[in-house]
Amino acid sequence: MSLAKNKIVFEDCKASCVEIESFSILDNQSILVTGGTGFVGKWIAEMVSYINFTSNLNIKLYLLGRDIVKFKDEVPHLAEKSFINFIEQDVRYLHDLPSDLNYIIHAAGSPDNREHVSDPLKTIETFYKGTQSLLDAASRIQDLKKIVHLSSHQVYGKNETEQLISENSFGPFEALNIANCYAESKRIAETLCSYYKNNLRLPIIILRPFAFIGPYQDIEKPWAINSFIRDAILGGPIRILGNGLTERSYLYASDMAYCILKSLIDGKIGEIYNLGSSTPISLNELAIKIQNQSGSKMEILTRSSKDYLSVSKLVPNTDKIKKELNFKEVFTIDEAINRTILWNQLKRNN
Amino acid sequence: MIKQILISDPTLRDGNHACAHQLSAEQIAIYSEAADKAGVPIVEVGHGNGLGASSLQVGLSKEDDKTILETARKHLNKSKLGIHVIPGFATIKRDLVNAIDIGVEVIRVASHCTEADITQRHLGYVRERGKEAYGVLMMSHMASASVLVEEAQKMELYGAEGIIIMDSAGAYLPSDVQEKISALVNGLKVPVGFHAHNNLGMAVANSITAIESGAKILDGTARGFGAGAGNAQLEVLVAVLEKMGYVTGIDLYKILDASDIAEKKIMSTVPTIKSDSIVSGLSGVFSGFAKHVTRISNEYEVDPRDVYRELGKRKIVGGQEDIIIEVVMDLIRNRK
Repeated sequence: MSLAKNKIVFEDCKASCVEIESFSILDNQSILVTGGTGFVGKWIAEMVSYINFTSNLNIKLYLLGRDIVKFKDEVPHLAEKSFINFIEQDVRYLHDLPSDLNYIIHAAGSPDNREHVSDPLKTIETFYKGTQSLLDAASRIQDLKKIVHLSSHQVYGKNETEQLISENSFGPFEALNIANCYAESKRIAETLCSYYKNNLRLPIIILRPFAFIGPYQDIEKPWAINSFIRDAILGGPIRILGNGLTERSYLYASDMAYCILKSLIDGKIGEIYNLGSSTPISLNELAIKIQNQSGSKMEILTRSSKDYLSVSKLVPNTDKIKKELNFKEVFTIDEAINRTILWNQLKRNN
Repeated sequence: MIKQILISDPTLRDGNHACAHQLSAEQIAIYSEAADKAGVPIVEVGHGNGLGASSLQVGLSKEDDKTILETARKHLNKSKLGIHVIPGFATIKRDLVNAIDIGVEVIRVASHCTEADITQRHLGYVRERGKEAYGVLMMSHMASASVLVEEAQKMELYGAEGIIIMDSAGAYLPSDVQEKISALVNGLKVPVGFHAHNNLGMAVANSITAIESGAKILDGTARGFGAGAGNAQLEVLVAVLEKMGYVTGIDLYKILDASDIAEKKIMSTVPTIKSDSIVSGLSGVFSGFAKHVTRISNEYEVDPRDVYRELGKRKIVGGQEDIIIEVVMDLIRNRK
């Protein structure tokens, strides 16, 4: 079963990695990934593994995370790779980094909003103190070529229009709402990045991720697509909580990993890029797609506190990243759902 | 447009408070069958304080959880089997796993109104198992509307498919209900519900106010069988909702029959608003304390109304039953 799961991931990396030759510049280079044992870290490791294997390159990875044992247990096929090195460390208390680093992908911190509301201070500390500790340590690295800081779409505040969100469109924001501690700390982390870029000349670019889906993303996470897939795997019903007209978009995990690595090469220092899919889909449509792909005619239930009249839309305009990084989404939403369901079914039967 | 209201019936759970948790398997079977025939959407069963709560502290159940759940499961066909779960009393491994294995379909995970954080793991587990998960904020009169919204939003994030606020002390007036339910409806994505107690005679009126303020879920029990002065009387609630044009899916005649059966077969006394209950409601004391306060006050010959007043001042909540004796002792000391 795990071989079948790994095969899916390998094939996905192969499909997404459309310009594999461009990664030759990373040969014999070292990349640090904070949050390296999480969803993003695992996919970066998978993609680098694919690139090293296919192009016979020697890209070295440092995965920094708090629970290396769990990572080794979850993905033993990655843990045994010789190009991967582990640093067990809470990013908030980071001081020294390996001296041979050339690139950093800062992906530490959970986007799980359950954790944010339950422990807002830790959330703020992770993104504020964690980012500062990392950038301080990075400023002491000699041959550092680029830092990619993964921010969040939540820095945009509330989108009150039906337009796609571009890198300069900001909506209203409620700072006193505790649930916004994540967004606020992502904002201050961006400001920190700006300071370190301007004052210490650190080569930082910022990516603002939207929603992703794919293997390694826990289907127990409290987001609509994860819940729908979990409900479908359990045999239904699929439950839409809130406004079914809400529009989101989902970038498949291997496309995400490819794009992050591509940003190490082609991202322009000081620039900000939206990272996500620009193809909107309503929650109602999403539930139907998952229902269709799950193979059985399960019920779809909608539970909401009120009748919604307006559409809430959270979809990025990705023209900039497509143009400057020559990035194309390979996986459609149908393919993304299909691969994710298949992988999770294999995981469940394992 | 059809105005659908989801009714949950905790006669066999809240009612257990009214009989010191002494409902028998036979009584559970009888009422489950009657409620099922009437088309009650959710029948909630268990110890008054929910799954895993049977203890010296809050009262020992006549039947264990397994017997209660298996009996109800056997006699419910159309109605969903529901339980009330307070993390701490109920643990996931010891209680919740078994309950779901027995066939519980609806799990309402409850906390004191300012402590929603403790419900995260339980709500998560219920969703993991694909069951219906609701969040319940108890003693909701003790928190402002804005605090309730914050706490309810946490439960929503944890996976709750609806949030029910409980007027556990029967302390609300319709204006309170209107303020709090409206705030919740506005601040949440998922449906909002209301669980009334009748200490001030407002249970049905408050439930209707909740619906008119946007709630979509109501609790009611046969003859109001529940803690203290009882709950919103289910058969009255169904009749009033029907008259107002709401749809509950419950057959009126059959729920009237079920209530008659409940009165004859499961209630030693039908709940009434006793003098003590009025003071309990005014003091904002958990209705589940009624039996304990009566017993201890009689034993030590203190006025139970003074006990309620003092418990209210100290803001004592469910699970702190041991404070009742402390309050009684203080009253005796002060009398001397």
